[in-house]
Amino acid sequence: MTRIWRETGFVDNDPWVIETEEVKAGEGQKPLLSLEELVTKADESNEVGFGVLIKPADDVRKLEPYLYRLELVAVAFPAFNDGRAFSHASLLRERLGYTNELRAVGDVLIDQVPHMLRCGIDSFAVTNETAIKRLTEKRLPEIPHYYQPTARDAEPGKSYSWRRQAKPAA
Amino acid sequence: MGDKVLTANRLTDGIAVWLDANGTWVTSLQDALVARHAEAVAALEAIGKKSYADNLVVDVAVVDVQETDGVLWPLRLRERIRAQGPTMEYAPGYKPADPAFIAV
Amino acid sequence: MYRYDEFDHAFVAERVAQFRDQVERRLSGELAEDAFKPLRLMNGVYLQLHAYMLRIAIPYGTLNSKQMRMLAHVARTYDRGYGHFTTRQNLQFNWPKLSDMPDVLAELATVEMHAIQTSGNCIRNVTADHFAGAAADEVADPRPYAEILRQWSSVHPEFSFLPRKFKIAVTGAERDRAAIQVHDIGLHLKKNDKGEIGFAVYVGGGQGRTPMIAKLIKDFLPEEDLLSYTTAVMRVYNLHGRRDNKYKARIKILVHETGAEELARQVEVEFAALKDTELKLPEADVAAITAYFAPPALPQRAEGWENLARWKKADPAFSRWVHQNVQPHKNPDYGMVTISLKPIGGIPGDASDSQMDAVADIAEEYAFDEIRVSHEQNLILPHVALADLESVYRGLVAIGLAEANAGLITDIIACPGLDYCALANARSIPVAQEISRRFGNPERQAEIGELKIKISGCINACGHHHVGHIGLLGVEKKGAELYQITLGGSGDEHTSIGEIIGRGFEPEKVTDAIEKIVDTYLGLRNDPSEIFLDAYRRVGPQPFKDALYGDSKAEAA
Repeated sequence: MTRIWRETGFVDNDPWVIETEEVKAGEGQKPLLSLEELVTKADESNEVGFGVLIKPADDVRKLEPYLYRLELVAVAFPAFNDGRAFSHASLLRERLGYTNELRAVGDVLIDQVPHMLRCGIDSFAVTNETAIKRLTEKRLPEIPHYYQPTARDAEPGKSYSWRRQAKPAA
Repeated sequence: MGDKVLTANRLTDGIAVWLDANGTWVTSLQDALVARHAEAVAALEAIGKKSYADNLVVDVAVVDVQETDGVLWPLRLRERIRAQGPTMEYAPGYKPADPAFIAV
Repeated sequence: MYRYDEFDHAFVAERVAQFRDQVERRLSGELAEDAFKPLRLMNGVYLQLHAYMLRIAIPYGTLNSKQMRMLAHVARTYDRGYGHFTTRQNLQFNWPKLSDMPDVLAELATVEMHAIQTSGNCIRNVTADHFAGAAADEVADPRPYAEILRQWSSVHPEFSFLPRKFKIAVTGAERDRAAIQVHDIGLHLKKNDKGEIGFAVYVGGGQGRTPMIAKLIKDFLPEEDLLSYTTAVMRVYNLHGRRDNKYKARIKILVHETGAEELARQVEVEFAALKDTELKLPEADVAAITAYFAPPALPQRAEGWENLARWKKADPAFSRWVHQNVQPHKNPDYGMVTISLKPIGGIPGDASDSQMDAVADIAEEYAFDEIRVSHEQNLILPHVALADLESVYRGLVAIGLAEANAGLITDIIACPGLDYCALANARSIPVAQEISRRFGNPERQAEIGELKIKISGCINACGHHHVGHIGLLGVEKKGAELYQITLGGSGDEHTSIGEIIGRGFEPEKVTDAIEKIVDTYLGLRNDPSEIFLDAYRRVGPQPFKDALYGDSKAEAA
C-alpha cells in the first residue's frame, strides 16, 4: 500500500488520487490532473486548489501562469532511474518559484529520497517496503556535505562558493 | 537440443560459478550438472531463479556445452574464457587458460 | 595537486558509510540487484566475466606516491597483485570481492582516493591533459577547472540519473592531448584577446557505436560561468536526452538529432537564467583551487645538460629512451617522462603491485612526488630534472618499464576485451601482444615513427579505436573472433574518425595485415618525417586497400 511521507512524518488522509481506468477520485478525494487537463480546466474557470501530475516528458515551465492556483504538483518517477523529475523539481522551485507541496510519485526508493529532497521535493508517495521502513526509522542514506547548491535551502559549505551543508535538524 | 549447464556469478565475490548435481554452485565448469532434455533445462532455470531470489548469485544464464570424453566444452568462446580465466599470463601464481580449450 | 580539506574528508567518509550500508543490504537481500546495480555502479563496481571489477578514480589522472602505494597495497591485499590503467585515466582492479569493497574504499579514503561516479549514468571522471602544469606549449593548467568540475559534479542530486554516462575532458594547450572532441563536453582552456581566461566549449563528441566529433557550441565561455553553463548543458541533456534506447542515449545523439545550433540555443536560454546565480565562480575560489596546482619549486640543475649528453653517448638504449619518452618541459633543465606500460609482449596498461611501489619510490625521489596517468594507458612523471634522467631510467629498467616506445607502434592502447569484459565480443590483449612482439625491434620502431594503434574488443570502443591511426575493432562472426581495421583516426586537435578499409581479419592474420599496412606506408611516405597519419591523410585509403585485398576486390566487410 502507498503511504505519503513528509519530513514531519507519515501523513494520513491524503486526498490526492492518480486516476486510472479502475481508480477514480471519490468522496473527499481530489484527482491529480495531467498537465493538459490542468491547463484546460484552469483556463476555463477561476478554481484554485488544483493538483497536477508532471510526467517525465512534460515541459514543467507550462505551469508558470497557474502556480498560485496549485495545491500540489506531483512529479513522476516511472522508473527510479528516470531522472527527469529531478530537473522538473529543481525548475519548479528555482525558476518558477513554486512554494506549495511538491511530491515524488512512482518508483520512490529510499536511496533516491535524499536527492529528491535536495531538488526541492517535500512529500513522497512511497510503496516500497524498505523505503517505508527506513523512513519510519528516519534512517535516510544521506551525505550531509554537498558539493553544489540546489533548490533546497542549505547552510553555506566550507571554503568554496559551490559547497553547502545540511541544515541542522529542526 | 544440445547439452546445457547453468552458470552465474557469486554475489559476494563475483566469481564465475556453475551449478553441480548437488545443487551447489561450484567454481569449476567441469563439475557442472549437464541438462540434456527440455525438462532438465527448465529445472535448471527454476533453480537459477531461486538462487537469484535467495541472493546467492547474479547474472544467471543457461549456456550450451558439448561433452567429449567427459570434458565439457562451451560452444561460445566467451563461456570458454569464463570457464578458464584470461587467456594470457596476467598475474604471478595464476595460470592462463589452456589455448587448446579456448580455440575455436 | 589538490589536497582534501575537512569537508572533502567528511564527504568521502560519509560516502563509504553509505555504500557499506548499501552493500550490507544487498548481501542480506533487503536490497534487490536491480535497485542495487545503479548504486554500485556509482561506486565504480562492475560485474565482469570472471569477477567484479572496481574502477578507482584518479581525478584528471593526477596522483602522488602515497596514493600509488595504496593502489599497490589494494592490489596485493584484495586482488591478484596488479591493476590496469585505463583510457580515462582511472585504475581498474579485476578481482575484488563485493564484501571487501567497503573496506577497500575506506582504505582509499585515507589517502584521498575514491571510486565515486566512475560508472553509472552520471558525470564521470573529468580527464585532462596528462602533461598539464609542465608542458612547454601550455597556455594555462586545465586541472584547477577539472577539480572544480569534479567537486561540483560529485553526488549532484539533479544529475545522478542521466539518460546515460557523461564524460568531460579539459585541455589547456593548442595541442589536444585529452581527446576533447570525442567527449560529451570538451573544454579547451584559452585566453581571449584581452588575456582573460575562458573556454571554447565542444559538445556531443563520442565513440562507441556511432562515433561523432563534438560540435563547438560556444567560442568563449568566461571562466566565472563554467558551472552555470555546464549546469545548463546538463539540464537540457537530462530533460531531453533519449531514454528509449540505450544506444541512442548519449548527448551526441541529442546534438545530432536536434542540430548543434538549436541545442546551443536551448543551452543559452537555460544559461541566461543561471548566469548570475550562486553558480557564478568567484575569482577567489578559482585562485584558491589553482594554488593547489602551483608547480613545484624546480631548482636549477644546469649540470643535467652535460651529463645527459655523456650518458646518451655511453648508452644507446638510454639515448633512445630519452629521445622517445622524454618531452620538453616549461623549464629547460627539466623533462616530462613517459613511463611506458607497454613492455614488448606485455599487457597494455597493466602494472604489478611491485611496479607501482617502485614508480612511487622513483616519483618521490626524482619527480617531486607527482605522477600522472595518460589516456593512452601510460604513466607520466611530469617534472624530472635532466640531471636525474639516468637514475630514473635505471630505476625503470629494474622493474621492466623502460621501453622506449612512447607514441610508437608498440605503444598500443587496448581495452581489457573478452579476456575480462562481459560486454566484449573479441579479445584485445593477445592481439596487442602479438603486434608488439612482431614490431618489437627498436630500430624498426624508430624507422616507422609515430603510429598509434588502438584496439577495442567491442563496439563500445573503450580502446578508443575510432581515433587510432590504425584502429582495430574485434567482432564476433560465426562464433569466432574477427578484427575490422580502420585507418586515419586521431584524437588530437585535428580529430578524425578512422575509416573502415575492408573486410575483417582472423586473429592469426591481423599482425600480417598490420605489417602490410606499415610496409605500404614506408613505401609511399615522402620522407621519414611524414608520419603515418599524415601520409594516410595525403594518399587516402586506396593504396592500403590495394595492399591488403589486392586491386581485384576490396569490399567492406
